[in-house]
Amino acid sequence: MNSLLRSVIAPVFGPLSIILAWQYLVPIAGIPPYILPTPTGIAGALANQWPLFADNVWTTVIEAIAGFLIGNLAAVLMAVVFVYSAPIRAAYFPVVLFFNTIPVLALAPIIILIFGLGLTPKIIVAAVICFFPTLVNMIRGLDSASSNERELLHILSATPWDNFWRLRLPRSLPMLFSSLRIATATAVIGAIVGEWIGSDKGLGALIIQATYNYQSDRLYGAIVLSSGLSIALFLIVVAVEKLVLRHE
Amino acid sequence: MNAIETKALNIGYRGPKGDQTVLSGVDLSIADGEFLTILGPSGCGKSTLLRVVADLLEPLAGDISVLGEDPSVIRSRRQVGFVFQESTLLPWRTVEANIELPVQVGRGRTGVRDSDRKRVKDLLEMLGIAGLEKRYPKQLSGGQRQRVAIARALFSEPRILLMDEPFGALDEITRDRLNEELLDVWRRTGTTILFVTHSIMEAVYLGQRVMVLGANPGRVMALRDLKGQKTPDNRCAREDPAIVNLMSELRKTLEQVS
Ligand SMILES: Nc1ncnc2c1ncn2[C@@H]1O[C@H](COP(=O)(O)OP(=O)(O)OP(=O)(O)O)[C@@H](O)[C@H]1O
Ligand SMILES: [Mg+2]
Repeated sequence: MNSLLRSVIAPVFGPLSIILAWQYLVPIAGIPPYILPTPTGIAGALANQWPLFADNVWTTVIEAIAGFLIGNLAAVLMAVVFVYSAPIRAAYFPVVLFFNTIPVLALAPIIILIFGLGLTPKIIVAAVICFFPTLVNMIRGLDSASSNERELLHILSATPWDNFWRLRLPRSLPMLFSSLRIATATAVIGAIVGEWIGSDKGLGALIIQATYNYQSDRLYGAIVLSSGLSIALFLIVVAVEKLVLRHE
Repeated sequence: MNAIETKALNIGYRGPKGDQTVLSGVDLSIADGEFLTILGPSGCGKSTLLRVVADLLEPLAGDISVLGEDPSVIRSRRQVGFVFQESTLLPWRTVEANIELPVQVGRGRTGVRDSDRKRVKDLLEMLGIAGLEKRYPKQLSGGQRQRVAIARALFSEPRILLMDEPFGALDEITRDRLNEELLDVWRRTGTTILFVTHSIMEAVYLGQRVMVLGANPGRVMALRDLKGQKTPDNRCAREDPAIVNLMSELRKTLEQVS
Protein backbone atom coordinates (compact mmCIF):
# COMPACT_ATOMS: atom_id res chain seq x y z
CA MET A 1 0.00 0.00 0.00
CA ASN A 2 2.77 2.33 1.02
CA SER A 3 4.71 1.56 -2.14
CA LEU A 4 1.61 2.09 -4.29
CA LEU A 5 1.20 5.47 -2.63
CA ARG A 6 4.78 6.38 -3.39
CA SER A 7 5.03 5.03 -6.92
CA VAL A 8 1.61 5.86 -8.39
CA ILE A 9 -0.68 7.95 -6.25
CA ALA A 10 1.79 10.59 -5.11
CA PRO A 11 3.35 11.30 -8.54
CA VAL A 12 -0.13 11.63 -10.04
CA PHE A 13 -1.60 13.64 -7.19
CA GLY A 14 1.19 16.25 -7.09
CA PRO A 15 0.92 17.58 -10.66
CA LEU A 16 -2.85 17.07 -10.66
CA SER A 17 -3.28 19.24 -7.57
CA ILE A 18 -1.32 22.05 -9.21
CA ILE A 19 -3.29 21.80 -12.46
CA LEU A 20 -6.57 21.86 -10.53
CA ALA A 21 -5.44 24.85 -8.48
CA TRP A 22 -4.35 26.58 -11.68
CA GLN A 23 -7.69 25.80 -13.32
CA TYR A 24 -9.92 27.02 -10.49
CA LEU A 25 -7.89 29.41 -8.33
CA VAL A 26 -6.40 31.56 -11.11
CA PRO A 27 -9.76 32.91 -12.31
CA ILE A 28 -10.88 33.41 -8.69
CA ALA A 29 -7.72 35.42 -8.04
CA GLY A 30 -8.73 37.66 -10.91
CA ILE A 31 -5.76 36.98 -13.17
CA PRO A 32 -7.00 37.66 -16.72
CA PRO A 33 -6.67 34.88 -19.34
CA TYR A 34 -4.43 37.02 -21.58
CA ILE A 35 -1.77 36.83 -18.87
CA LEU A 36 -2.37 33.28 -17.69
CA PRO A 37 -4.98 31.15 -19.46
CA THR A 38 -6.41 28.13 -17.67
CA PRO A 39 -5.30 24.57 -18.54
CA THR A 40 -8.60 23.91 -20.32
CA GLY A 41 -8.16 27.14 -22.23
CA ILE A 42 -4.70 26.02 -23.41
CA ALA A 43 -5.99 22.57 -24.29
CA GLY A 44 -8.82 24.18 -26.25
CA ALA A 45 -6.38 26.37 -28.18
CA LEU A 46 -4.22 23.33 -28.96
CA ALA A 47 -7.24 21.46 -30.27
CA ASN A 48 -8.76 24.34 -32.25
CA GLN A 49 -5.54 25.50 -33.88
CA TRP A 50 -3.95 22.07 -34.23
CA PRO A 51 -2.92 22.39 -37.92
CA LEU A 52 -0.96 25.55 -37.08
CA PHE A 53 0.73 23.90 -34.08
CA ALA A 54 1.46 20.65 -35.92
CA ASP A 55 3.09 22.51 -38.78
CA ASN A 56 5.42 24.36 -36.40
CA VAL A 57 6.11 21.41 -34.12
CA TRP A 58 7.53 19.34 -36.97
CA THR A 59 10.08 21.99 -37.85
CA THR A 60 11.32 22.08 -34.26
CA VAL A 61 11.27 18.28 -33.96
CA ILE A 62 13.50 17.91 -37.00
CA GLU A 63 15.89 20.64 -35.86
CA ALA A 64 16.14 19.32 -32.31
CA ILE A 65 16.66 15.68 -33.29
CA ALA A 66 19.16 16.48 -36.05
CA GLY A 67 21.03 18.84 -33.73
CA PHE A 68 20.99 16.25 -30.96
CA LEU A 69 22.41 13.54 -33.22
CA ILE A 70 25.02 15.72 -34.90
CA GLY A 71 26.18 17.48 -31.73
CA ASN A 72 26.52 14.31 -29.70
CA LEU A 73 28.13 12.33 -32.49
CA ALA A 74 30.69 15.08 -33.02
CA ALA A 75 31.34 15.19 -29.28
CA VAL A 76 31.87 11.43 -29.09
CA LEU A 77 34.25 11.44 -32.04
CA MET A 78 36.21 14.37 -30.69
CA ALA A 79 36.40 12.68 -27.28
CA VAL A 80 37.92 9.61 -28.92
CA VAL A 81 40.50 11.76 -30.70
CA PHE A 82 41.32 13.67 -27.50
CA VAL A 83 41.67 10.50 -25.47
CA TYR A 84 44.03 8.90 -27.98
CA SER A 85 46.14 11.96 -28.69
CA ALA A 86 47.42 13.97 -25.77
CA PRO A 87 49.03 16.64 -28.02
CA ILE A 88 45.79 17.28 -29.94
CA ARG A 89 43.93 17.40 -26.65
CA ALA A 90 46.41 19.85 -25.18
CA ALA A 91 46.23 22.02 -28.30
CA TYR A 92 42.49 22.10 -28.88
CA PHE A 93 40.73 21.47 -25.59
CA PRO A 94 41.35 25.09 -24.51
CA VAL A 95 39.84 26.26 -27.79
CA VAL A 96 36.73 24.19 -27.20
CA LEU A 97 36.64 25.50 -23.65
CA PHE A 98 36.75 29.07 -24.97
CA PHE A 99 33.89 28.50 -27.41
CA ASN A 100 31.89 26.99 -24.60
CA THR A 101 32.10 30.25 -22.67
CA ILE A 102 30.29 32.17 -25.44
CA PRO A 103 26.60 32.32 -24.52
CA VAL A 104 24.36 30.58 -27.08
CA LEU A 105 22.32 33.75 -27.38
CA ALA A 106 25.43 35.51 -28.64
CA LEU A 107 26.53 32.63 -30.84
CA ALA A 108 23.16 32.06 -32.50
CA PRO A 109 23.07 35.34 -34.49
CA ILE A 110 26.56 34.63 -35.85
CA ILE A 111 25.53 31.15 -36.94
CA ILE A 112 22.46 32.59 -38.63
CA LEU A 113 24.58 35.23 -40.35
CA ILE A 114 26.75 32.48 -41.75
CA PHE A 115 24.14 29.86 -42.63
CA GLY A 116 21.10 31.94 -43.52
CA LEU A 117 17.52 31.35 -42.50
CA GLY A 118 16.85 27.69 -43.31
CA LEU A 119 16.88 24.67 -41.00
CA THR A 120 20.68 24.39 -41.02
CA PRO A 121 21.51 27.22 -38.58
CA LYS A 122 18.94 25.96 -36.02
CA ILE A 123 20.33 22.46 -36.27
CA ILE A 124 23.80 23.88 -35.71
CA VAL A 125 22.72 25.88 -32.66
CA ALA A 126 21.07 22.76 -31.22
CA ALA A 127 24.19 20.71 -32.00
CA VAL A 128 26.55 23.29 -30.45
CA ILE A 129 24.58 23.43 -27.25
CA CYS A 130 24.67 19.61 -26.85
CA PHE A 131 28.31 19.31 -27.76
CA PHE A 132 30.32 20.39 -24.74
CA PRO A 133 28.72 18.41 -21.88
CA THR A 134 28.87 15.23 -23.96
CA LEU A 135 32.50 15.87 -24.89
CA VAL A 136 33.52 16.25 -21.25
CA ASN A 137 31.49 13.25 -20.10
CA MET A 138 32.71 11.05 -22.91
CA ILE A 139 36.36 11.88 -22.23
CA ARG A 140 35.89 10.94 -18.60
CA GLY A 141 33.95 7.82 -19.58
CA LEU A 142 36.62 6.58 -21.98
CA ASP A 143 39.23 7.04 -19.27
CA SER A 144 37.19 5.39 -16.54
CA ALA A 145 38.38 1.78 -16.83
CA SER A 146 40.06 0.63 -13.61
CA SER A 147 43.71 -0.34 -13.60
CA ASN A 148 42.72 -3.96 -12.93
CA GLU A 149 40.55 -3.95 -16.03
CA ARG A 150 43.37 -2.55 -18.13
CA GLU A 151 45.77 -5.13 -16.72
CA LEU A 152 43.29 -7.88 -17.48
CA LEU A 153 43.32 -6.90 -21.16
CA HIS A 154 47.10 -6.52 -21.11
CA ILE A 155 47.54 -10.07 -19.80
CA LEU A 156 45.39 -11.23 -22.72
CA SER A 157 47.73 -9.30 -25.07
CA ALA A 158 44.80 -7.25 -26.31
CA THR A 159 45.32 -5.01 -29.33
CA PRO A 160 44.45 -1.29 -29.13
CA TRP A 161 41.37 -2.18 -31.15
CA ASP A 162 40.24 -4.71 -28.51
CA ASN A 163 41.04 -2.22 -25.81
CA PHE A 164 38.74 0.32 -27.37
CA TRP A 165 35.79 -1.88 -28.32
CA ARG A 166 35.83 -4.30 -25.43
CA LEU A 167 36.83 -2.03 -22.57
CA ARG A 168 36.96 1.72 -23.06
CA LEU A 169 33.82 2.18 -25.13
CA PRO A 170 31.51 -0.03 -23.05
CA ARG A 171 33.00 1.55 -19.91
CA SER A 172 32.09 5.01 -21.19
CA LEU A 173 28.44 4.25 -21.97
CA PRO A 174 26.90 5.01 -18.55
CA MET A 175 28.49 8.47 -18.57
CA LEU A 176 27.57 9.02 -22.21
CA PHE A 177 23.94 8.26 -21.50
CA SER A 178 23.78 10.53 -18.49
CA SER A 179 24.87 13.38 -20.72
CA LEU A 180 22.52 12.31 -23.54
CA ARG A 181 19.61 12.55 -21.11
CA ILE A 182 20.49 16.15 -20.35
CA ALA A 183 21.11 16.87 -24.03
CA THR A 184 17.49 16.04 -24.89
CA ALA A 185 16.33 19.20 -23.15
CA THR A 186 19.22 21.38 -24.33
CA ALA A 187 18.76 20.33 -27.98
CA VAL A 188 15.16 21.58 -27.88
CA ILE A 189 16.28 24.81 -26.23
CA GLY A 190 18.94 25.25 -28.92
CA ALA A 191 16.42 24.77 -31.74
CA ILE A 192 13.99 27.26 -30.17
CA VAL A 193 16.67 29.87 -29.54
CA GLY A 194 17.74 29.51 -33.17
CA GLU A 195 14.16 30.07 -34.26
CA TRP A 196 13.77 33.16 -32.09
CA ILE A 197 16.57 34.89 -33.82
CA GLY A 198 15.62 34.25 -37.39
CA SER A 199 12.68 32.17 -38.45
CA ASP A 200 9.01 32.26 -39.29
CA LYS A 201 8.54 28.59 -38.54
CA GLY A 202 8.86 26.35 -35.53
CA LEU A 203 7.81 26.54 -31.91
CA GLY A 204 10.33 29.31 -31.23
CA ALA A 205 8.88 31.46 -34.00
CA LEU A 206 5.39 30.73 -32.74
CA ILE A 207 6.36 31.79 -29.22
CA ILE A 208 7.74 35.12 -30.49
CA GLN A 209 4.76 35.84 -32.73
CA ALA A 210 2.24 34.89 -30.05
CA THR A 211 3.98 37.12 -27.51
CA TYR A 212 3.94 40.17 -29.79
CA ASN A 213 0.30 39.59 -30.68
CA TYR A 214 -0.88 38.95 -27.10
CA GLN A 215 -2.15 35.51 -28.14
CA SER A 216 -1.42 34.01 -24.77
CA ASP A 217 -3.30 30.75 -25.36
CA ARG A 218 -1.13 30.19 -28.42
CA LEU A 219 2.01 31.12 -26.47
CA TYR A 220 1.18 28.67 -23.70
CA GLY A 221 0.26 26.00 -26.23
CA ALA A 222 3.69 26.36 -27.83
CA ILE A 223 5.35 26.14 -24.41
CA VAL A 224 3.43 22.97 -23.56
CA LEU A 225 4.45 21.42 -26.87
CA SER A 226 8.13 22.30 -26.48
CA SER A 227 8.33 20.73 -23.06
CA GLY A 228 6.35 17.77 -24.43
CA LEU A 229 9.00 17.43 -27.12
CA SER A 230 11.82 17.45 -24.55
CA ILE A 231 10.02 14.83 -22.50
CA ALA A 232 9.45 12.62 -25.54
CA LEU A 233 13.14 12.80 -26.51
CA PHE A 234 14.11 12.12 -22.91
CA LEU A 235 11.92 9.02 -22.77
CA ILE A 236 13.39 7.73 -26.04
CA VAL A 237 16.92 8.13 -24.67
CA VAL A 238 15.93 6.40 -21.43
CA ALA A 239 14.40 3.52 -23.40
CA VAL A 240 17.55 3.11 -25.51
CA GLU A 241 19.67 3.32 -22.37
CA LYS A 242 17.61 0.57 -20.70
CA LEU A 243 18.17 -1.60 -23.74
CA VAL A 244 21.90 -0.93 -24.05
CA LEU A 245 22.71 -1.00 -20.34
CA ARG A 246 20.53 -4.03 -19.48
CA HIS A 247 23.17 -5.27 -17.09
CA GLU A 248 23.01 -2.26 -14.75
CA MET B 1 62.46 -26.85 -16.68
CA ASN B 2 61.32 -24.70 -13.81
CA ALA B 3 58.14 -22.72 -14.07
CA ILE B 4 59.73 -19.60 -12.62
CA GLU B 5 63.37 -18.77 -11.99
CA THR B 6 64.68 -15.53 -10.59
CA LYS B 7 68.23 -14.41 -9.89
CA ALA B 8 69.09 -11.34 -7.82
CA LEU B 9 65.76 -9.92 -8.88
CA ASN B 10 64.96 -6.38 -7.73
CA ILE B 11 61.45 -5.19 -8.26
CA GLY B 12 59.65 -1.94 -7.59
CA TYR B 13 58.36 1.14 -9.30
CA ARG B 14 60.16 3.64 -11.47
CA GLY B 15 59.28 7.19 -10.63
CA PRO B 16 60.33 10.69 -11.57
CA LYS B 17 62.27 10.93 -8.31
CA GLY B 18 64.17 7.71 -8.94
CA ASP B 19 63.33 4.07 -8.49
CA GLN B 20 61.51 2.84 -5.45
CA THR B 21 62.61 -0.71 -4.69
CA VAL B 22 59.94 -2.88 -3.14
CA LEU B 23 61.60 -6.31 -3.05
CA SER B 24 65.30 -6.94 -3.57
CA GLY B 25 67.56 -9.94 -4.03
CA VAL B 26 64.83 -12.39 -4.83
CA ASP B 27 66.31 -15.79 -5.77
CA LEU B 28 63.54 -18.23 -6.45
CA SER B 29 63.04 -21.52 -8.26
CA ILE B 30 59.50 -22.65 -8.59
CA ALA B 31 59.03 -26.10 -10.09
CA ASP B 32 56.63 -26.76 -12.91
CA GLY B 33 53.29 -27.74 -11.41
CA GLU B 34 54.12 -26.46 -7.94
CA PHE B 35 51.61 -24.79 -5.65
CA LEU B 36 53.36 -21.91 -3.86
CA THR B 37 51.59 -19.68 -1.38
CA ILE B 38 52.87 -16.25 -0.42
CA LEU B 39 52.40 -14.55 2.94
CA GLY B 40 53.61 -11.17 4.12
CA PRO B 41 52.57 -7.93 5.76
CA SER B 42 50.54 -5.42 3.80
CA GLY B 43 52.65 -3.37 1.40
CA CYS B 44 55.62 -5.76 1.34
CA GLY B 45 55.34 -6.39 -2.39
CA LYS B 46 53.28 -9.55 -2.87
CA SER B 47 51.13 -8.06 -5.62
CA THR B 48 54.16 -6.41 -7.15
CA LEU B 49 55.89 -9.78 -7.44
CA LEU B 50 52.90 -11.30 -9.23
CA ARG B 51 52.76 -8.30 -11.54
CA VAL B 52 56.36 -8.85 -12.58
CA VAL B 53 55.72 -12.53 -13.33
CA ALA B 54 52.65 -11.55 -15.39
CA ASP B 55 54.64 -8.98 -17.39
CA LEU B 56 52.55 -6.13 -16.03
CA LEU B 57 55.67 -4.54 -14.58
CA GLU B 58 59.32 -4.55 -15.64
CA PRO B 59 61.84 -5.63 -13.01
CA LEU B 60 64.28 -2.95 -11.85
CA ALA B 61 67.26 -5.30 -12.00
CA GLY B 62 68.19 -8.96 -12.08
CA ASP B 63 66.82 -11.86 -14.07
CA ILE B 64 63.49 -13.56 -14.25
CA SER B 65 62.47 -16.35 -16.58
CA VAL B 66 59.06 -17.90 -16.81
CA LEU B 67 58.95 -21.37 -18.41
CA GLY B 68 62.46 -20.61 -19.61
CA GLU B 69 61.43 -17.44 -21.45
CA ASP B 70 61.03 -13.76 -20.85
CA PRO B 71 57.71 -13.02 -19.06
CA SER B 72 56.49 -11.04 -22.09
CA VAL B 73 56.84 -14.10 -24.33
CA ILE B 74 54.82 -16.23 -21.97
CA ARG B 75 52.21 -13.52 -21.64
CA SER B 76 51.80 -13.19 -25.40
CA ARG B 77 51.37 -16.96 -25.62
CA ARG B 78 48.53 -16.73 -23.13
CA GLN B 79 50.23 -19.08 -20.73
CA VAL B 80 49.60 -16.89 -17.70
CA GLY B 81 46.27 -16.52 -15.94
CA PHE B 82 45.65 -13.84 -13.33
CA VAL B 83 42.94 -13.69 -10.68
CA PHE B 84 42.66 -10.28 -9.07
CA GLN B 85 41.65 -9.51 -5.52
CA GLU B 86 38.43 -7.97 -6.80
CA SER B 87 36.95 -10.29 -9.39
CA THR B 88 37.26 -7.67 -12.18
CA LEU B 89 34.45 -9.09 -14.27
CA LEU B 90 33.27 -6.74 -17.00
CA PRO B 91 29.76 -5.74 -15.84
CA TRP B 92 28.31 -5.45 -19.36
CA ARG B 93 29.17 -9.04 -20.21
CA THR B 94 27.33 -12.14 -19.07
CA VAL B 95 29.19 -14.81 -17.14
CA GLU B 96 29.65 -16.73 -20.38
CA ALA B 97 30.90 -13.70 -22.30
CA ASN B 98 33.29 -12.81 -19.47
CA ILE B 99 34.83 -16.26 -19.54
CA GLU B 100 35.06 -16.17 -23.33
CA LEU B 101 36.83 -12.81 -23.27
CA PRO B 102 40.21 -14.47 -23.93
CA VAL B 103 38.89 -16.01 -27.17
CA GLN B 104 37.29 -12.82 -28.41
CA VAL B 105 40.38 -10.77 -27.68
CA GLY B 106 42.57 -13.34 -29.38
CA ARG B 107 40.67 -14.30 -32.48
CA GLY B 108 39.00 -11.01 -33.26
CA ARG B 109 35.60 -11.40 -34.79
CA THR B 110 35.93 -14.98 -36.01
CA GLY B 111 33.92 -15.43 -32.88
CA VAL B 112 33.26 -18.07 -30.36
CA ARG B 113 33.26 -21.68 -31.47
CA ASP B 114 31.05 -24.48 -30.19
CA SER B 115 34.05 -26.04 -28.52
CA ASP B 116 34.52 -22.80 -26.54
CA ARG B 117 30.90 -22.89 -25.37
CA LYS B 118 31.42 -26.46 -24.25
CA ARG B 119 34.56 -25.48 -22.37
CA VAL B 120 32.72 -22.67 -20.56
CA LYS B 121 30.07 -25.17 -19.48
CA ASP B 122 32.69 -27.62 -18.26
CA LEU B 123 34.55 -24.94 -16.32
CA LEU B 124 31.38 -23.70 -14.63
CA GLU B 125 30.51 -27.25 -13.71
CA MET B 126 33.99 -27.91 -12.39
CA LEU B 127 33.74 -24.80 -10.20
CA GLY B 128 30.25 -25.61 -8.98
CA ILE B 129 28.38 -22.74 -10.65
CA ALA B 130 26.74 -24.55 -13.57
CA GLY B 131 23.72 -22.82 -15.06
CA LEU B 132 24.80 -19.23 -14.41
CA GLU B 133 26.00 -18.64 -18.00
CA LYS B 134 23.46 -15.97 -18.87
CA ARG B 135 23.67 -13.97 -15.63
CA TYR B 136 25.35 -10.59 -15.35
CA PRO B 137 28.03 -10.06 -12.69
CA LYS B 138 25.65 -7.83 -10.69
CA GLN B 139 23.38 -10.83 -10.25
CA LEU B 140 26.06 -12.96 -8.59
CA SER B 141 27.29 -13.29 -5.04
CA GLY B 142 30.90 -12.42 -4.22
CA GLY B 143 31.87 -16.11 -4.12
CA GLN B 144 30.20 -16.83 -7.45
CA ARG B 145 31.95 -13.85 -9.03
CA GLN B 146 35.33 -15.05 -7.80
CA ARG B 147 34.62 -18.49 -9.29
CA VAL B 148 33.79 -16.91 -12.63
CA ALA B 149 37.06 -14.97 -12.47
CA ILE B 150 38.90 -18.25 -11.85
CA ALA B 151 37.05 -19.87 -14.74
CA ARG B 152 38.13 -17.02 -17.00
CA ALA B 153 41.75 -17.36 -15.88
CA LEU B 154 41.63 -21.12 -16.52
CA PHE B 155 39.90 -20.76 -19.88
CA SER B 156 43.02 -20.52 -21.99
CA GLU B 157 44.63 -23.41 -20.06
CA PRO B 158 47.47 -21.35 -18.58
CA ARG B 159 50.63 -23.07 -17.44
CA ILE B 160 50.98 -20.48 -14.67
CA LEU B 161 48.11 -19.23 -12.54
CA LEU B 162 48.70 -16.11 -10.44
CA MET B 163 46.16 -15.45 -7.73
CA ASP B 164 46.23 -12.25 -5.66
CA GLU B 165 44.18 -12.72 -2.49
CA PRO B 166 41.35 -14.15 -4.56
CA PHE B 167 39.26 -15.22 -1.58
CA GLY B 168 40.07 -12.31 0.75
CA ALA B 169 36.55 -10.91 0.74
CA LEU B 170 34.69 -14.17 1.31
CA ASP B 171 33.27 -15.74 4.44
CA GLU B 172 35.21 -18.64 5.94
CA ILE B 173 32.86 -21.43 4.84
CA THR B 174 32.83 -20.26 1.21
CA ARG B 175 36.56 -19.75 1.34
CA ASP B 176 37.16 -23.31 2.59
CA ARG B 177 34.94 -24.70 -0.14
CA LEU B 178 36.73 -22.68 -2.82
CA ASN B 179 40.09 -23.83 -1.44
CA GLU B 180 38.96 -27.39 -1.89
CA GLU B 181 37.79 -26.70 -5.45
CA LEU B 182 41.00 -24.91 -6.31
CA LEU B 183 43.05 -27.87 -5.11
CA ASP B 184 40.90 -30.12 -7.29
CA VAL B 185 41.49 -27.92 -10.30
CA TRP B 186 45.20 -27.86 -9.58
CA ARG B 187 45.39 -31.66 -9.31
CA ARG B 188 43.48 -32.06 -12.55
CA THR B 189 45.34 -29.48 -14.61
CA GLY B 190 48.85 -29.57 -13.18
CA THR B 191 49.06 -25.79 -13.41
CA THR B 192 51.73 -23.97 -11.46
CA ILE B 193 50.01 -21.70 -8.95
CA LEU B 194 51.32 -18.66 -7.08
CA PHE B 195 48.74 -17.76 -4.49
CA VAL B 196 48.90 -14.63 -2.30
CA THR B 197 46.94 -14.64 0.94
CA HIS B 198 46.81 -13.03 4.37
CA SER B 199 45.49 -16.19 5.97
CA ILE B 200 48.13 -18.47 7.46
CA MET B 201 45.65 -21.31 7.48
CA GLU B 202 44.91 -20.87 3.80
CA ALA B 203 48.62 -20.62 2.96
CA VAL B 204 49.38 -23.86 4.77
CA TYR B 205 46.34 -25.71 3.53
CA LEU B 206 46.93 -24.89 -0.14
CA GLY B 207 50.67 -24.61 -0.56
CA GLN B 208 53.33 -27.22 -1.12
CA ARG B 209 55.68 -24.45 -0.10
CA VAL B 210 54.97 -21.21 1.74
CA MET B 211 57.01 -18.11 1.03
CA VAL B 212 57.08 -15.37 3.66
CA LEU B 213 58.01 -11.87 2.52
CA GLY B 214 59.12 -9.11 4.85
CA ALA B 215 59.01 -5.36 4.48
CA ASN B 216 61.61 -2.64 5.12
CA PRO B 217 63.68 -3.81 3.45
CA GLY B 218 61.45 -5.99 1.32
CA ARG B 219 62.90 -9.43 0.81
CA VAL B 220 62.16 -13.12 1.08
CA MET B 221 62.25 -13.94 4.80
CA ALA B 222 61.47 -17.64 4.68
CA LEU B 223 60.62 -20.36 2.24
CA ARG B 224 59.08 -23.28 4.07
CA ASP B 225 58.65 -26.68 2.42
CA LEU B 226 55.50 -28.47 3.62
CA LYS B 227 55.83 -31.65 1.62
CA GLY B 228 56.91 -33.54 4.76
CA GLN B 229 53.70 -32.62 6.56
CA LYS B 230 51.37 -33.39 3.66
CA THR B 231 50.44 -36.35 1.49
CA PRO B 232 52.09 -36.60 -1.96
CA ASP B 233 49.02 -35.10 -3.60
CA ASN B 234 49.15 -32.14 -1.20
CA ARG B 235 46.44 -33.08 1.28
CA CYS B 236 46.44 -32.38 4.98
CA ALA B 237 44.01 -32.17 7.88
CA ARG B 238 43.66 -28.70 9.35
CA GLU B 239 43.70 -30.10 12.88
CA ASP B 240 46.77 -32.34 12.38
CA PRO B 241 49.25 -31.36 15.17
CA ALA B 242 52.11 -31.08 12.66
CA ILE B 243 50.03 -28.59 10.64
CA VAL B 244 49.00 -26.67 13.75
CA ASN B 245 52.67 -26.41 14.77
CA LEU B 246 53.61 -25.20 11.35
CA MET B 247 50.99 -22.51 11.51
CA SER B 248 52.21 -21.13 14.80
CA GLU B 249 55.76 -21.22 13.50
CA LEU B 250 54.74 -19.21 10.45
CA ARG B 251 52.79 -16.83 12.66
CA LYS B 252 55.97 -16.13 14.64
CA THR B 253 57.93 -15.47 11.46
CA LEU B 254 55.21 -13.12 10.26
CA GLU B 255 55.09 -11.29 13.58
CA GLN B 256 58.83 -10.68 13.37
CA VAL B 257 58.62 -9.12 9.92
CA SER B 258 55.45 -7.08 10.43
N1 LIG C 1 51.73 1.82 -8.99
C1 LIG C 1 52.57 2.00 -7.97
N2 LIG C 1 53.49 3.00 -8.00
C2 LIG C 1 54.34 3.19 -6.98
N3 LIG C 1 54.36 2.44 -5.86
C3 LIG C 1 53.49 1.44 -5.75
C4 LIG C 1 52.53 1.17 -6.79
N4 LIG C 1 51.78 0.12 -6.40
C5 LIG C 1 52.23 -0.24 -5.19
N5 LIG C 1 53.26 0.54 -4.79
C6 LIG C 1 54.02 0.41 -3.54
O1 LIG C 1 54.73 -0.81 -3.56
C7 LIG C 1 54.71 -1.43 -2.30
C8 LIG C 1 54.22 -2.85 -2.42
O2 LIG C 1 52.89 -2.85 -2.89
P1 LIG C 1 52.08 -4.19 -3.14
O3 LIG C 1 50.78 -3.82 -3.72
O4 LIG C 1 52.92 -5.14 -3.89
O5 LIG C 1 51.88 -4.71 -1.65
P2 LIG C 1 51.17 -6.05 -1.14
O6 LIG C 1 52.19 -6.87 -0.47
O7 LIG C 1 50.43 -6.67 -2.26
O8 LIG C 1 50.18 -5.47 -0.05
P3 LIG C 1 48.69 -5.90 0.30
O9 LIG C 1 48.81 -7.10 1.18
O10 LIG C 1 48.17 -4.74 1.07
O11 LIG C 1 47.97 -6.14 -0.97
C9 LIG C 1 53.83 -0.57 -1.40
O12 LIG C 1 54.68 0.16 -0.55
C10 LIG C 1 53.11 0.34 -2.35
O13 LIG C 1 52.94 1.60 -1.76
MG1 LIG D 1 48.35 -6.81 -2.80
